[in-house]
Amino acid sequence: MKKIILLALFLVANYSMSQTVSQDTTSTKNQQQNAAQNILNGTSSKGITIGGYAEIDYNQPEGDNGKLDVHRLVVLMGYKFNDKVQFVTEIEYEHVKEVYIEQAFLNYSLNDNLNIRGGLMLVPMGIVNEYHEPTTFNGVERPNVDKSIVPTTWREIGLGISGKIDNANLRYQAYVFNGFASVNGSNVLGGSNGLRNGRQKGAESTINTPNLSAKIDFYGIQGLRLGFSGYFGRSQAADEVDAIEGSDVGISMFGLDGRYVKNRFSARGQYIHTIINDAKNYNALYETNLGSELKGWYIEAAYNLLPTSNEQKLDAFVRYEQYDTHAATTDADISRNLSYNRNEWTTGLSYHIAQGAVVKADYQIFDNALSNSEAKGQFNLGLGVWF
Amino acid sequence: MKNLICLLCVFSLTTIHAFNSINKQVDKEIKSAFEIENYVTELKIIDSELKSELSSDFWNNNFYEIKNEQELVGYAYIGEGFGKTDNFEYLLLFDVNLIIVKSKVLKYREDYGGEIGSKRWLKQFIGKSSKDKLLYGENIAAISGATLSVKSMTNSVNKVLESIAILQNKNIL
Repeated sequence: MKKIILLALFLVANYSMSQTVSQDTTSTKNQQQNAAQNILNGTSSKGITIGGYAEIDYNQPEGDNGKLDVHRLVVLMGYKFNDKVQFVTEIEYEHVKEVYIEQAFLNYSLNDNLNIRGGLMLVPMGIVNEYHEPTTFNGVERPNVDKSIVPTTWREIGLGISGKIDNANLRYQAYVFNGFASVNGSNVLGGSNGLRNGRQKGAESTINTPNLSAKIDFYGIQGLRLGFSGYFGRSQAADEVDAIEGSDVGISMFGLDGRYVKNRFSARGQYIHTIINDAKNYNALYETNLGSELKGWYIEAAYNLLPTSNEQKLDAFVRYEQYDTHAATTDADISRNLSYNRNEWTTGLSYHIAQGAVVKADYQIFDNALSNSEAKGQFNLGLGVWF
Repeated sequence: MKNLICLLCVFSLTTIHAFNSINKQVDKEIKSAFEIENYVTELKIIDSELKSELSSDFWNNNFYEIKNEQELVGYAYIGEGFGKTDNFEYLLLFDVNLIIVKSKVLKYREDYGGEIGSKRWLKQFIGKSSKDKLLYGENIAAISGATLSVKSMTNSVNKVLESIAILQNKNIL
């Protein structure tokens, strides 16, 4: 009898769950709904998720003309075939006129703790490459460490696993990815942005050696989240040159990041260190200046000026960044360019007028290690949404 | 390449039935939280007129009494929250005084936000009752990277506690 009642309990519970599942698959599960979602709710398009994010920026450097830009506008679409199989894609418009696919992967959930996924995916390195929606970070622009050292938004085609271990408070990811191109069109690696030119972004990308990427996140200490990332492999050389010495470089990247939230205070920091092997031959072959080490870090603190019980949040923040794409140059046989050893201060406000909508304003001071360098200031104002 | 194909075959052959695992989890949690082997659960039927006063989280026939040899030992509530793109189910177990003794995420479908399944984080709900108001970022810690799920579960549990307070005031619980 007891068993029958127990069974009944679970049938009822499952029935109510399956009901809610079918209702919920018609829209995103965010509290807010947009016009498209309302339309979708009224149709039979079960399993479709629509969302997106956008950043509209105003950058005003001191002494120069300003820039107004729809920096990024991204449409997220997902389709859930069943409880286990889901396709997720993000279509990105950058600066209004450039179109990219930011993500496009098929996820198969083996169980609650293990997913296998393949397609165009984000490389897990540091904080912002994976969590890059404008409401998730302070400052109108992403940290520059996440531009010059981690080339966000860094994505390539690959295959791998991801999941979590509840008892250990861990999330893990491990992938085989395609790597950076040694030569991307007419662009080579090196200079002020290190590896950034080599991103292939899944567009007719060349592969000859797969690269490995992994990240572990630990969140077992209240309010704290720590991340350890690693990326190992080689750049991809085209058929015509791949036998020539110097046509590719070895890349090992290590990342450590932390985020902390306690009441109205929050802080985050990140350290990324990249070691480049065979940069000497590469620089000789392509007449470029890729360093043998790239390094960068930042630390940021923020305080919410509004009570935590408010729906709105007003974070005042300050961030210091230091990054160098010529952190080591001797092994690369190039002369060190001190202007690539940069530091910057960013301070400002992020006013979250609703969960998912933010107005940001900040001031940045850019400087570098050249003895005669003059610090430059820039004011930024931006709108960001994520739904 | 061969290895890759083998790997894919192994994965595609594996099937795990989600709902069976939910049943097992609830059973396991009840037995462990109340240290009992045998029990029955009875749906707590709430008058339809009264329902309108309660949070919608209470409408789905998802609040149960747990009895061991006719004696009430506690209550079970199966709730629902939302992450970024999908819903998740969670379990709350209450003692006879309606104080939370266990909280667990039963089924989380998304990859992102799954951090709320953390044992350590879920412990924060233990000891809370209808007298408590849960405040995200204050007595319920935030988890970076799982903000939507954390807020959703916090709000949902708050509504459950508020509804329980109403039922207690009316001497229904």
